[in-house]
Amino acid sequence: MDLEKELSQALRRKEPSPDFAARVAARVAAQAAPVVMPVTKPRVFAVPRWLPVAAAVLVVIGGVGEAAWRRHQGMVAKEQVMLAMRITAGKLNHIQTHVREAR
Amino acid sequence: MKQCGVLLLVGWLAMPLPAQQFKFNLDHLESKASDTVDVNLNGSTLQFAAKFLDDKDPDEAKVKKLIAGLQGIYVKSLQFKNDGEWSKTDLDNVKNQLHEPEWSRILGFKSAEEGETADVYVRTENKKITGVAIIAAEPKQLTVVNIAGAVDLESLADLSGHFGLPKLEPPSPGKGKKN
Repeated sequence: MDLEKELSQALRRKEPSPDFAARVAARVAAQAAPVVMPVTKPRVFAVPRWLPVAAAVLVVIGGVGEAAWRRHQGMVAKEQVMLAMRITAGKLNHIQTHVREAR
Repeated sequence: MKQCGVLLLVGWLAMPLPAQQFKFNLDHLESKASDTVDVNLNGSTLQFAAKFLDDKDPDEAKVKKLIAGLQGIYVKSLQFKNDGEWSKTDLDNVKNQLHEPEWSRILGFKSAEEGETADVYVRTENKKITGVAIIAAEPKQLTVVNIAGAVDLESLADLSGHFGLPKLEPPSPGKGKKN
């Protein structure tokens, strides 16, 4: 039948209403959100939150370790001094005893 | 290269002089010794050690007082299993360095019976005591001590009352010394 006729009728150019352009512009303005580009920091500068804590713990452990090491060194030095003095005192005592006996 | 040489020279000049006042010259005997005690403490180590000496302990308090201001304590003691491991030359190599006017022998004894000798020397500079040397030789033991710095002889002699050693009374003045 009039398929062709119906088709041409359906596809015929139809002029938009006079306020069409204004309505489209208004809707676009209402819906479109501003496009914001996400700011991503370079990975190199991404510092994990736990890192400062870990660094602080290491500093504390290091400080305690150094104090312990210094104390150990001090005790070793003290033992060396006491050993040297023990030998010196022993020899002096021995010499003094012999000298007195000879008098 | 030239800068490197200059830096090395500056570094060498900046190095503190060793406080030990004479050479022990006993290293060659260490291989023969059954036991060796070698103590080398310079002034800074002594002052560091002094911080760890307990004032409440009589021995440690005495030592703390004695080492204040010292420049070093050097001890070498060699114990041998057999007689004759060291010679008179070894002893002379040490003693020959302790000569007048710097060094004076103030005390000593020689026991031919026990084959034992011991001497105490004092080093003086401008009438001030700047060091003490002790050389003690027994058939199976050789000990050399150098205490460098302003040594208080009375405090040193008073050590005999410490370290479990019997207290000796100070010698009465006017008596001659045994050589």
